[in-house]
Amino acid sequence: MGYRRRQASFKYTNVMSKYLCMQRSLPGGENEKPSPAQMQEMYAQFGAWQEKFADNLVDMGGRLGEGKLVTSGASDGPFVEVKELIGGYMIVAAKSLDEAVEVAQACPGLVRPGSGVEVIEIHGP
Amino acid sequence: LTTSELVDHFFRHEYGRLVATLSRRVGVKHVEAIEDAVQGALMTALQSWTTAGLPDSPSAWLFRVANNRLLDELRQQNRRQGLLREHSQGPEADSDGDLGPFSEEELAQDLLEMLFVCCDEAIPVESQLALALKTLCGFDVREIGARLFITEANVYKRLTRARQRLRERPDLAENLEGKRYSSRLPSVHKILYLLFTEGYLSSHAETAIRRELCDEAIRLTSILAADRVGKNPETSALLALMHLHSARLLARQDGSGGLLLLEEQDRALWDQGEIQTGLQWLARSAEGDVFTRYHAEAAVAAEHCLAASFQETRWEKVVQSYSLLEQMAPSALHRLNRAVAVAEWQGPAAGLAVLDGLEPPTWLAGSYMWSAVLADLHKRCGNAEIAGNYHRIANEQAPTPAVKELLERRHKRSLVATA
Repeated sequence: MGYRRRQASFKYTNVMSKYLCMQRSLPGGENEKPSPAQMQEMYAQFGAWQEKFADNLVDMGGRLGEGKLVTSGASDGPFVEVKELIGGYMIVAAKSLDEAVEVAQACPGLVRPGSGVEVIEIHGP
Repeated sequence: LTTSELVDHFFRHEYGRLVATLSRRVGVKHVEAIEDAVQGALMTALQSWTTAGLPDSPSAWLFRVANNRLLDELRQQNRRQGLLREHSQGPEADSDGDLGPFSEEELAQDLLEMLFVCCDEAIPVESQLALALKTLCGFDVREIGARLFITEANVYKRLTRARQRLRERPDLAENLEGKRYSSRLPSVHKILYLLFTEGYLSSHAETAIRRELCDEAIRLTSILAADRVGKNPETSALLALMHLHSARLLARQDGSGGLLLLEEQDRALWDQGEIQTGLQWLARSAEGDVFTRYHAEAAVAAEHCLAASFQETRWEKVVQSYSLLEQMAPSALHRLNRAVAVAEWQGPAAGLAVLDGLEPPTWLAGSYMWSAVLADLHKRCGNAEIAGNYHRIANEQAPTPAVKELLERRHKRSLVATA
């Protein structure tokens, strides 16, 4: 019994799950525009981050643009447009939610005043 | 997928190139819209390149995005103002074509024109400098403030003045033909010189930041020196002096950021490559019969670079160059420098004699340099009391702890020398 449980937890910590990371705009902290020199620094930091978490970064995703909500018509709206809340997304693979959070948190420029990230597990088939 | 390396200062230099190129295309009067478009394009690049990787030609990619953003903005402005006709043949006409990679010559030409624009006589010099740092070097307001030791508000004020003038002026090209182009060369030299000295003489603690300004000045001056109109003995002399000073930049500080006197510097740390480049430009600056203040300053720097040690410096040559410099650009500071050189050549009393009867202007009297030199010369002449007074004043006027420390050391040293 004990053996089986250990095996189960062993399995649990070694299988990578996928997590959806959504960048959310938060109130406050209207961030200043970075200067070109700062952008270069951000670019370098981003490269270092990608290298460090190469195994975790499944899909770098992208920023979200225009969208449209399609409903059956019987909804109670109004809905907040998704793109106002969510700036972009990416998918990371991790052994646990905590690890996924760690990857997202280390992403340069993602977590700062005015921006946060929501990390959600995607249940596989 | 990981991001590939970009060359140093890629974003900053692309900023300068794009602002220059777009200014030439749509007119510098739109400089604010241009800068916004370029800033936006760089941000888009940062987001896109970090997720999708670098495009084949990052520069062309950036140009396309910045150009489109700018044209969108100008169209909107026109619509707002109901002035569609003004731009009906202008920027929109070539919006689709000619987006391939640019030749180096074209880019250099664009940068040069922007440099000449920055040196418009109608713009106050301090605004010219801020404008050049912003548009050509890609520094933002905060960074310019930190480099020029002025507040951000002051930087804004200077830039606003400059942009106001740019909005009023007709388009570039027609103004930069032939004579007008070369008649503006002296102001261009002056701005480049200023840019360099802001870095070289700065009391900024970080060598990297000072180095950056010196490198920017050398980059722009090199482009000027390669240009048909910009290539002249004065430009060569300016470039020579920049390289010869730059060679010694690192050696001017000790390991902990403290300043070192010329005689304390480890000459092995001087960059021989830079010295050679400087000497080559100095040779080229002699092709012709003009002798400018830059020639004189480069000659002084060359003497220092060529001397095997402080003691072996050919002080009579240094004195000669300072005399010429004084004749060409009369300034109490140049006289002060000559006095220092004369003191090394013929003794401290002779040095003091150079300053006899000179009433220093308030800016010099208020700077530590004047009092420090007098303290040193009087000390070496045995006038301990006068020296002590000047030393105290110099100490009070020292702008940074590093300078204060240097003065203290210098003072103690001359005590030993006279003992």
